[in-house]
Amino acid sequence: MLRLTLKNLAGNRVRFALTAFAVVLAVSFVVSSFVLTDGLRQQFDGLSAEIVGGTDLMVRPVEPDFGEIPSLPGSLVAEVAATDGVAAAAPVVGTPDNAIRPVPPDGELISTNGPPQVAVNWVDDPALSSFTLVEGRAPAADGEFAMDVDAAATHGFTLGGTYDVLTPTGTVSETLTGLTRFGADNATLGATLMQFPTASLQRLTGDTGVDSVAVALADGADRGAVQAALASLAPGTEVIDNATLLSEQQDGFNQGISIMGNVLLGFAAVSLFVSIFIIYNTFAIVLGQRTRELGLLRLVGADPRQIRRSVLGEALVIGIVSSLLGIGAGALVARGLTALFDALGASMPDMALVISARTVIVALVVGIGATMISAVGPARKAARVAPIVALRDGAAAGTSTGRVRLAVGTLILAAGLAAGGTGLFGASGTATVVSLLGLGAAAVFIGVTLVSPVVAVPVTRVLSWPARATAGVAGRLAGQNAGRNPQRTATTAAALMIGLAAVTMALVVGESVKAELRSTVASSVTADYIVTEPSGNFPADLAATLDASPEVAAVSGFRYEEVRTGAAADEIEVTGARLTEVPALFDLDVTQGSLTDWAGTVADPVAVAETEAVRLGLAPGDTVGMDFGSGQHRDLTVVAVFADEYVVESPYLLDLSTWDAVGASDADDFLSFSLADGVDGARAAELVAGLTAAYPQVDVDTPGQFADKVAGFVDQALTAVNAMVALAVVIALIGIANTLALSVFERTRELGLLRAVGMTRRQLRRMIRLEATLVALFGAALGVVTGLGFGWAAVIALPDTITETVAVPGTRIAVLVAVAGVAGLLAAWGPARRASRLDVLDAIAA
Amino acid sequence: MSRSTTVPAPIIAAARASVGPEPTPAAAAAVGATKVYGKGDTVVRALDGVDVTFDKGRMTAIMGPSGSGKSTLMHCLAGLDQLTSGQVVIGSTDLTQLNERQLTQLRRDRIGFIFQSFNLIPTLNAAENIRLPMDLAGTTPDARWVEHVIATVGLGDRLRHRPSELSGGQQQRVAVARALASRPEIVFADEPTGNLDSRTGAEILGFMARAVVDLGQTIVMVTHDPVAASYADRVVFLADGRLRGQLDHPTPDTVLDAMRNLGQ
Ligand SMILES: Nc1ncnc2c1ncn2[C@@H]1O[C@H](COP(=O)(O)OP(=O)(O)O)[C@@H](O)[C@H]1O
Ligand SMILES: [Mg+2]
Repeated sequence: MLRLTLKNLAGNRVRFALTAFAVVLAVSFVVSSFVLTDGLRQQFDGLSAEIVGGTDLMVRPVEPDFGEIPSLPGSLVAEVAATDGVAAAAPVVGTPDNAIRPVPPDGELISTNGPPQVAVNWVDDPALSSFTLVEGRAPAADGEFAMDVDAAATHGFTLGGTYDVLTPTGTVSETLTGLTRFGADNATLGATLMQFPTASLQRLTGDTGVDSVAVALADGADRGAVQAALASLAPGTEVIDNATLLSEQQDGFNQGISIMGNVLLGFAAVSLFVSIFIIYNTFAIVLGQRTRELGLLRLVGADPRQIRRSVLGEALVIGIVSSLLGIGAGALVARGLTALFDALGASMPDMALVISARTVIVALVVGIGATMISAVGPARKAARVAPIVALRDGAAAGTSTGRVRLAVGTLILAAGLAAGGTGLFGASGTATVVSLLGLGAAAVFIGVTLVSPVVAVPVTRVLSWPARATAGVAGRLAGQNAGRNPQRTATTAAALMIGLAAVTMALVVGESVKAELRSTVASSVTADYIVTEPSGNFPADLAATLDASPEVAAVSGFRYEEVRTGAAADEIEVTGARLTEVPALFDLDVTQGSLTDWAGTVADPVAVAETEAVRLGLAPGDTVGMDFGSGQHRDLTVVAVFADEYVVESPYLLDLSTWDAVGASDADDFLSFSLADGVDGARAAELVAGLTAAYPQVDVDTPGQFADKVAGFVDQALTAVNAMVALAVVIALIGIANTLALSVFERTRELGLLRAVGMTRRQLRRMIRLEATLVALFGAALGVVTGLGFGWAAVIALPDTITETVAVPGTRIAVLVAVAGVAGLLAAWGPARRASRLDVLDAIAA
Repeated sequence: MSRSTTVPAPIIAAARASVGPEPTPAAAAAVGATKVYGKGDTVVRALDGVDVTFDKGRMTAIMGPSGSGKSTLMHCLAGLDQLTSGQVVIGSTDLTQLNERQLTQLRRDRIGFIFQSFNLIPTLNAAENIRLPMDLAGTTPDARWVEHVIATVGLGDRLRHRPSELSGGQQQRVAVARALASRPEIVFADEPTGNLDSRTGAEILGFMARAVVDLGQTIVMVTHDPVAASYADRVVFLADGRLRGQLDHPTPDTVLDAMRNLGQ
């Protein structure tokens, strides 16, 4: 039987190739995500080593379990340097990504969406510095800075030039005195790296402390002893060694890489899932075509087990060969993805192609596994072929949908819905919820696939109406062909359904979120402008600047901070704003008390969200105790209860007077302001223009513009989802092309007959393309219906502060369906061409 | 409109004339028809200079041993295959001058086919199969004519059935009806009864003969069965790709005799 297996494969190269293709595709996505993340990991491990460099020990504050990490006093550096066994010590002062942004000569800010802009303090000691001077001199005084040589070249900064630099404390003018190199070959991965004199950087960030102290050991010093000595220098510090530092740094990067890897793997899982439908379908069709041959085998004495083994043997060979091909293809896909990300502006490093043993093993398991799983059903069916079939003539009639299949499908569908429902509404814990949702979705898809043959015939008939009306007999035949083998049509369509369901769901959720956003902005925002800073480094003095402006009637920054409160000392996020200004900016729907009437009588006022007030039985006049990250405690007096929780997004709204008094974060998250009465449009425009000139990093939007912008973010997120789904759809289209190619092969005689009695090549091509379009539209319809269900469930499950009403973007969904139909048409191009080129006589004789 | 779909005036005149009993001009002809397969050592002369005409309003049988070139001749006559040299004419159209598109239209509009098996599109029911060539052409069938044809082949109650729900004989009847329904100039049948038992075969041949007598249809039928050939008005004999003789008003016995003579 093995020889038969191999002969079969060799003899049916086209079928073999088509089956293998689907497996290769699935494997290549899994492989590419591994290759990509492994490559990145290697690259970033190198980067970590460069960052840690020659630092032997590092003195740093112990991370508190609550609140911000404190900085160390600058005086500690000298104490560390004076410790026995320390050769050199240098302060480390860093800034959050994009907190300091140099303005390129053309005035066009470097985007904060790409690689970060990072400023650190310049360290002279080469043992403790990751930077080496390439040209010019080190920055030594206020108003001087250095930059890595590649970033300078990329963004047009030249040595000796003076540039505006946006900092947390305002815009300053800085002269570029030096060009530097990071590590051995300035492998910055596209980041813009700046170095400032330590004191200068401390002034710019408004923090006189240092983050940590880097230490180089003297030759022959006892590491342990020095470590112990340093640890006792200051309370609340810890001393870590090079190895720990390196692994922490790597872990930091790896977290980011893992997120990307997981996204890619999730994507690969979807591709694999879609591919399994296609592999299964290919096997089912190919074996269906071989029914007579299988009957003949049975006739001459093969027992069902031998048939089954032979089929599974074929699957095994296909699985192995295509997994190996998939590994190669995966490496290419990884390269392609790198280029794609690069093109999308995510500046990817030049990576080595890392194909680890794990990648190969996973690829083989996935590829062989998927193929075998897909082949089990068709193999069982093949084994049941009766010997008599060999003696029967004529094309095998289309199979009817079995009751068992329907029953099983319904059960799986129900189980999927139950799992999904539990995941959305009943379960807790991210892992549980995600796996329940994933399993639920997969089960729903499988269930729909099993059940959908029942509707395949009527639905394709309805869908084919326009084709019949316009394309005559070609259209009618296309419609009938699409409905002729409902199971095949359903499985082929299912692959497309999955992608479209995902897009539809994303569209529904996105649309619902946008609709809620717009209605809230319309009803709750009374401010004239909302000011935001995309990178999260809001200029600290902007609120004060606006407050001083006579055109501005009310202004408040909004800040967020973690505090502890209540009997259980729960950590929650609270909002800070200038309470008395809030009513002029947002309509919070105050139901009790007042946001303004407390002034002068209450020291630490707080407004409480209605749900929290109800939960804790709070009313104006009551007190709420809060512990802040700075270690301070305050008993706050409730002055108001508000019902609209969409704007504030946290249960407590504190006044900035308290905020500043307890030393909570002084950075605004966003800001809004209202204009004074009588300020006309021209003056308002002038004000906004002045603002954006002085603070080029901020966006000043009217509430309408702001809503549009956030809607734009939602759309952007949707685009990312759509890009992922697009690949699943492409796989599905390959599946349609695959099925059609096999169908054309199967119907060779029929096509020959049609040609003999006078069907033109064009009519034939049109017939096949229309058939594909119908299958695609059927899949799209299934996908849209399933996706609407998913979307509805998701919107219901989302917190009401995000959205509570289901909005359906009808036009977009219609466009989606139309695109799917056209894509089906294109998928049929190859098979249709092939069919139309069949030699009539050969075809009849086939 | 392309040349192949224009029925030349002499043919129309002939068709009108064919209502009467008078013998009519040829419906189809092959002149020096030669078909060579393969190259070098493996070369096969499937047709080797065949000259033959097929009369209008008559059924002509092509006979000969297996491999003698019967099917090849028929395929070339019907525009399904191309000659290596020589000419094939349907009516007054020289098929060797037509391109692929024109040949397709010729088949659709002027020729009917009956094959040995697999004559019908499985997804279409009997009635749809019968109308198929006209649907492909986008022409409206002559309803009364189609009814007449269907009545002639006796399919009345089976029209809504799919091929898989019909017996082999019924399927061939549908095939005959399809071949006749569009009033083609000529019908080609390749061993139309080869897959049927003798009684069912006789029925089908009866319908075909009636089509010739009652409807004035021209039919060219390939067969190796002397009984089948006896339904024809004339038999032409092929052997090794050459025309070896003709026989008018054949009976099974005279056909057998002729074949025996050929074998010598
Ligand atoms: N496509 C082909 N390629 C090569 N030889 C062919 C082909 N078709 C037919 N032949 C050869 O041509 C000869 C005539 O075949 P055919 O017309 O089918 O004979 P018949 O129908 O009388 O049995 C045979 O020898 C056959 O082998
Ligand atoms: Mg033959």
